This record gives sequence, structure tokens and C-alpha cells, in this order.
Amino acid sequence: MDAVKKAPKVTKESKNKIKVEFEGQLSAWERFKLKVFSMYFLKNVVVRICTYILLVGISYIIIYPFISKIATSIMSADDFVDATVMLISKHPTLETYRAIIVDNRYFEAMFNTAVLSASTAVIQMFITCLIAYGFAKFKFRGNKLLFMFVILTMVVPHSTLKLAMFMKFRYFDIFGIFNFLGGGVFESVRLIKFTELSLTNTYWPFIILSLTGLAFKNGLFIFMLRQFFNGVPDELEESAYIDGAGTLRTFVQIILPLSVPMLVTVFMFAFSWQWTDKFYIDTFFTTTGPYTLRQIALKIPSSLTDDVQYAGGTMYTAAITNTNGILIIAPLVFIYCFAQKSLVQGIERSGITG
Amino acid sequence: MNAEAKKPTKVKVESAPKKKKKIASLEKKKARIGYLFVLPFIIGLVIVYLPMIYQSISYSFQSMTTIQGGGVKITPVGWANYQNAIMVDPTFTQTLIEGMGRIIFDVPAIVIFSLFMAILLNQDMAGRGLFRAIFFIPVIISTGLITDIDAHNILMQSAGQAIDTGTETNTVTQIVNVMDIEMLFANMKVGSGLVTYVADLVNDIFNIVNRSGVQMLIFLAGLQSISPAIYESCEIDGATGWETFWKITFPMISPMILVNAIYTIIDALTRSDNTVMAYIDTVYNSPGGNTLSAAMSWMYFLLVILLIAVVSGVISAYVFYQKRDT
Repeated sequence: MDAVKKAPKVTKESKNKIKVEFEGQLSAWERFKLKVFSMYFLKNVVVRICTYILLVGISYIIIYPFISKIATSIMSADDFVDATVMLISKHPTLETYRAIIVDNRYFEAMFNTAVLSASTAVIQMFITCLIAYGFAKFKFRGNKLLFMFVILTMVVPHSTLKLAMFMKFRYFDIFGIFNFLGGGVFESVRLIKFTELSLTNTYWPFIILSLTGLAFKNGLFIFMLRQFFNGVPDELEESAYIDGAGTLRTFVQIILPLSVPMLVTVFMFAFSWQWTDKFYIDTFFTTTGPYTLRQIALKIPSSLTDDVQYAGGTMYTAAITNTNGILIIAPLVFIYCFAQKSLVQGIERSGITG
Repeated sequence: MNAEAKKPTKVKVESAPKKKKKIASLEKKKARIGYLFVLPFIIGLVIVYLPMIYQSISYSFQSMTTIQGGGVKITPVGWANYQNAIMVDPTFTQTLIEGMGRIIFDVPAIVIFSLFMAILLNQDMAGRGLFRAIFFIPVIISTGLITDIDAHNILMQSAGQAIDTGTETNTVTQIVNVMDIEMLFANMKVGSGLVTYVADLVNDIFNIVNRSGVQMLIFLAGLQSISPAIYESCEIDGATGWETFWKITFPMISPMILVNAIYTIIDALTRSDNTVMAYIDTVYNSPGGNTLSAAMSWMYFLLVILLIAVVSGVISAYVFYQKRDT
């Protein structure tokens, strides 16, 4: 009956968790009852369930096409005639995959596309980073005006410039300098007859556009990275300057390591958008151009052309092009699985706020 | 005494601007290095981009014929291309109007949907990483080639429809169909315009989900920049979730709404499944149509810019900018 109470017993459960026990504590069951049988808890549960239903439902919408594509890709021609087959094949076969890989020379196309995408993505990553850093941290004259031009490149769709873009690289010239050196002069009828430096069917148009920060959605990258650099405190660089580092060294040794998640994000965007690109390849490559994934996208492998003629052929054709699609995005999904975490992180840190 | 006292102050006044000047020149020096960083863009702008814009505009006033033996002959034709596009071409004007209507229809849907999903994904819950990974898949994959393959594809169209209208064609077994929604809204006594709009949205959910990836990311970034302290103080003051959303989240996220509305319009412009762009592309590939297509796409672009101007004008009247402490 004395007032001396026992001190609460504290036990360490794990690194960040302690368990406190004291006298007169309700039993575990009582505590559980109080916790669960309350309106607050009920409301939370209902909200949670609704959230999950919604999320699962919408995830289904996103994933269903892939499930359906994969399911139809292993079907044989017979399955498309059979009305009872919905998603699960009765005669599963990998023939479609084999045909695409062998007849469509999938690996050659993939290699070419990989070289193109990887090189342009790496260039774009560094160039946009450089440009964005220049815009964010240096108040030179014309900063605002030049950034307006970045917005302009973002707003004017490249499809509007398709013809000009083709002509630019078909007859590549800088202010007529090459033309002048080559001895060709503008004639009065404006007959274009340059000393033809044609860059079509090469990777140069892509590399030139990437090097100058003008490639697909590079304006968006510059915008994102600029917002990110705006959020990096100036003191960080100032301390580097005081320690005697130059601007370039500060950029390489202080800023670049900081912005790795952002760089991964930009790389992923640039890489995957170039990987599945149609517009630029259509513009710069003719049929004799490098063999890329663009060429196999709608191509029916030669060994399957007979099967497509029969009943259910249109469905089978669709299934084959879908399998093309799966094979095209398979490497992307593979990379996405690894880069996903820092992708999401990078996007969250971009702080694309006002 | 007075004269002596004045002297030192005078000196001080003189020396102060000198010091300031020195700092300014240092900053200038640093600013000059800024040009070095931006140099690739300046070069690209001057050598590639501005000439390209100029050429594209001038092509739209010219006609271009390929001549035998290689080479192209260009003759100026004035406004003929624009006239042809509007007056002669039978389908262009209609496609254009439909395309613009489509954009006006899509923008609010995508912005609202992506805001809603961003708020859901911003909550703390189990499996959040997984859901986020799934939701960002379309950003990576649903572009260019894949949309092209899907557009040419009966199976994918039927898959899209299957999702849009429920997997069964039999209306009895569907969980929700358009009729149900219309009934629901009819009972709620709201305008029929809203009813058809929502019904159309439900029918188009596949499209909307696949197109709102980047917008969701932008909203997520915006949501995460809102200080949790504001929400805490709200909770202490006894605000409900509904009030918190309209009084805190919505104003704080409103700059993002502007950004997203504009992004959605531009994205709609550049997507390959855009009907107007697809039509312009067929014109581009038809013989002698390449300069006509340039005229068409400039017209389309100007209309869209007009739309962007109107939209940003309307939204920015309601946008709330948080004052920075700095």
C-alpha cells in the first residue's frame, strides 16, 4: 500500500524500438480492443480499403495490356481460331519469339538502337546538366532571355519542324559556309545544289541535336535540372570556392555527385524515349538507314507470313506485332527495374515547384 | 572642428563605391563563366534551332518539287499553302477542330486524375513503392513505337475497349457501366453536360491513365514540397480532411496545376496518336505535300499556343504563390 511505485520496465527490442512496461497496464487484449473498436480505426480501415481498391484497379489498367500481350505472344496460330481461348493458350509455343529473333534480326536491331540510345542519352544527360547549371547559378546578362528560348524549344513541337529538320541535315550547312567553300553558290531560282554533306542515315543528326541540348524534350530536362540546382544552397559552392576550387571543379566534384538521382532520371527518360522513338528515326533515316527497332516494329517475320493468311490471321498479325512490342520494351523494363528507385527519388527531388 | 569631422566621412563615402565595384566585377567574372556552361545551347540555338524555325516558316510559304537528277526546286507561293489547307483540303479543318476539342476535353480530365492519383500515392502505406513503380511504367514505355504498334493493332484496341467498358460485352455482368453512371447523375440532378463528360471519361480511362504519368510525377514533387508542419497545425486546429485539401493542398499545388495543364496540352501536341499530327504526317508523306504540311502544322501550333495563352491566363488568375522567406 505504499506510494512507492515501481519504475517502468524498459527493454530494448531492436535498434530503434523500446518496450515500456509499467504497473496497472491494461492487458494486451484490452489495449487491442480499445484500438480496434473505435470509429477512428474503422474510418481508417475503410479509407485504406478504398485506396487499395482504386490503386489495384488502376494498376490493372496499366498492366493488363502487358499481360494480354505476353499471353498472346505465346499462342500459336490455332489459338486465334479457337473461340474458347481468351488469355491462356491451348497450344503454347515460342515460335513467334524465335521467328522475330531470327527472321527480323532482332539482336542486330537491338544493338543498333542500344548504341544510338545510350550515346545520345549520355550526351544529353551531361549537356542538359551543364546548361541547366549555367542557367541556375550564374546571373549573366541575357540569362532570362536565353531561358525563354529553352521554353520555346519545349513548346514548339518538333513535328512542326519536321521538314526543316530533314532539310537541315540532308544538306547540312552552317550559314552557307560549307556551300561557299565547296564553290556552290545560291542561284537566282534558289536551286539547292549544295556540296552535299548529307547527314541523313547516320547518327550525326541525333548527336548534334543532343550536343546542343535540342533533342526530344531536352527543354524539359533543362527545366527540371534548373529547378533542382536552384534548390541547392549557394553556400555549398561558396565553401568550395573558398577552398580554392574553380568553377568547373566545383561542378564536377561537388554538384555532379549531389545530382546523381536527377541524372539517372534524365538518363532514363532520354534513353527510353530514344529507344522507342519513331519520329526522329522516320525523319532522319530512310529505308537504307541503320537497322533499328523502328524497322521491326510492324514487320511480320518471313517464316510466319504464310500462317497470317488463314482464318484468324488479323488477330495473329496483331499478336505478332505485339510480340515485337514486347521484345522492344523488354530491355527497357529490365533497366527500369534497376533504375526505378533512383528514378522515383530523382523525380521527387526535382522539386518542380514554382 | 566641424570641417575636421566632415573629412573622414567624405573619405568613407568615396571608398564605399570602390569596394562595391570590386565585388561586382568578381561577380561579373563568375557570370561570364556562366556563358561557358550555356554555350552548347547558344551554339545550337544560333546554328541549328533558329535557322530551322526560320526555314520551317519560310517553307510554309513555298512549294517544293523534286527535280530529276537530285536536288529540290523551291518556288515562293505566298499564302497558297495556308489557303489550300483551309479551303481546298476537305478534311483538314474538320480534323483540326476535332483535335482541338479533344485537347480541351482531355486537359481537365488528365490534370484532375493525375492530381487525385498523386495524392493517393503520396500517402504513407504498405506497397507504395510497388504502386509508384507501376504507375510510372507508362512514362517510360507508352511512347512513340509502342503507341504506334498499339494503334495498328486489333488486339490492343480490343484490350483498351475491354478495359474501358468492362471485360464482358454483356451489360448485366458489368460492375459499372455508362448507363449506371448516367442514372446516378440523373438522380443527383446535375446537368446533362457533366453527365456525358464523366461518362466519356470513364470510357476513356485507359487513355487517360496512360497519359498522366509525367503529370503525376510533377504533382508528387509539388505535394512533397508542402511543409508537413502546415498539415500538423491544421490538424491541431481541428480541420477535416476535406477542409485541409481545399484550404491547404489545393492552393499550395495550384502552380503545379498551371504547369501540368500546359504540359498536357504540349504533350497532346507531340503524341503520335494525335489525330491532327497523324493527318499532317500523311500529308507530309504524300507527293508535293511537305510544304503544305509545314503550313498546316504552323497553323495547328498557333491555335494551340492561343489555347495555352487562354488556359494559362485563366488558371494563373487563381494560382496562389507562396511567398518565399528569403
